Amino acid sequence: MKLAEVQALFYELVTARESVAATLAARGPEARRAVEEMVAGDARLPASARMEIYADMYFARIRDVLADEYPKTAGALGPAAFHHLVTDYLDVCRPSHPSLREVGARLPGFVAAHAATAERPWLAELARLERARFELFDGPDAEPLTVEALRARPPERFAALPLRLVPSHELIATRFDVVSLWRADDPAAAAPDPNPTTLIVWRRNSDVFHRAVDVEEGDWLRSLEGGDVTFGELCAGLAAGRTDEAAAARAFVLCGRWANDGLLRISR
Amino acid sequence: MIGAMHGFAALGQGIGLRPPFYEAAAAGEPSVGWWEVITENFMVEGGNPRRVLRAARAHRPIVLHGVSLSLGSTDPLDARYLERLAALAAEIEPAWISDHLCWSSFGGQSAHDLWPLPFTEEALGHVATRVARVQERLGRRILVENVSSYLSYRHSTMSEPEFLTALAERADCGLLFDVNNVFVSAHNHGFDPVAFIDAIPRARVGQFHLAGHSVQPTHLLDTHDHPVSEGVWELYRHAVARFGDLATLLERDDHIPPLEKLCAESRRAAEIARQVSGGPGGGGDRGA
Repeated sequence: MKLAEVQALFYELVTARESVAATLAARGPEARRAVEEMVAGDARLPASARMEIYADMYFARIRDVLADEYPKTAGALGPAAFHHLVTDYLDVCRPSHPSLREVGARLPGFVAAHAATAERPWLAELARLERARFELFDGPDAEPLTVEALRARPPERFAALPLRLVPSHELIATRFDVVSLWRADDPAAAAPDPNPTTLIVWRRNSDVFHRAVDVEEGDWLRSLEGGDVTFGELCAGLAAGRTDEAAAARAFVLCGRWANDGLLRISR
Repeated sequence: MIGAMHGFAALGQGIGLRPPFYEAAAAGEPSVGWWEVITENFMVEGGNPRRVLRAARAHRPIVLHGVSLSLGSTDPLDARYLERLAALAAEIEPAWISDHLCWSSFGGQSAHDLWPLPFTEEALGHVATRVARVQERLGRRILVENVSSYLSYRHSTMSEPEFLTALAERADCGLLFDVNNVFVSAHNHGFDPVAFIDAIPRARVGQFHLAGHSVQPTHLLDTHDHPVSEGVWELYRHAVARFGDLATLLERDDHIPPLEKLCAESRRAAEIARQVSGGPGGGGDRGA
């Protein structure tokens, strides 16, 4: 038996949706004979039972990794429904990256189209928040612009100050209050209200944070994502419907919050 | 070309670096002689893992231990993975690099498991060629680890020790000898683990792994979630007697206890090595 044939049969059976026993039963005696000709079995562990050990480990490892990565999503669904979700997910989204951390990368998108969202329309947004937090944990590093550095800047140079976001951040538009859901002790019992908002998720040092932002702050954070915006441009943009003094005050509040959060990086 | 043959330093006892130990490693925990990391967990752009790895490396030797090189797969070698591994090695300067004698990918999909190979001439040639290519790219000899297994193939034409020996010779690589894996496989397949050890060439083994396993009704499972069993400690004693006082790594991946508990197990390994090899730093007989 050629190595490629061995690996094709092994992979097909071990990663099948059903157990090895069920798959072989469905395929008939020839399939069972092929396994018995390939794998040595004995009374203690027949050939198909030995294959089953690998099938169980394949599924359990990935399910456990996903449960660790998506604890709130798994909690909202409960063990049985989460098990079914992972089974369906692996049918469509087979792991293809050498790192286990990428196994769950497509889960939020998959959840969005899954039957589990019929009773939980907020589930994909919760999963997306969890994935963002997971990915940003080991995202690129950057030196943050501190509040102290802002305070030390001469007033006459403030207008030209470029405002740039640290690379390890993500903006997420949500239709539901998933922040409350994420905080809930029992996400299975929670039913978040529709509340369209924007979340900013980011890493500062070794910790990942998220918070909801209002429409105005969300719009400016998107502008900052798109490229350099100076403090002067921020003030000018905030002046609509405000006095110059009120716009400047609002700009200082936003900049102070972003710097305090560790969202701004030093621009060289 | 790979340079002249070099050995693998007798680093003493090390522990697998897992998230609960990140801060201790970064702070230079004195009771751990060296750390082994799962390579893929640190192939990331930045953040906490890389910070910890750099800090740990400043205090102690690091060994990069991969699980996804998939040396036995009939898929092409993952060139991108290899480049990222080479880049990480250039930055961290590990004491050495290791991976497994297994396949873990097929048709472009990753299994995230260590699947067994048939011990045939075809598989041997295939794996040896790939190990040589990896070593060529990395510019250093790697260690290839024996895996625990739950099945064997009827068409295998050689034993696992014969396959490992031939691979080490043909690819000019070293072997990472996992004592627990031999214990688990010996139980599952009914072979003599001592005879297995005695069939492996002394000069090719560069490191030991020790770990725990779980006992199932029909087999042993290599779960790394228990302390090292008494049977594995006995086998380790025999392995040290044959291969010498090599770098020994204690692995724990689940139900991870406080570091001091793992250090106590690690000290037991050091004590056995001292008893068997005749003193600290005793290297044993490394002759072929």
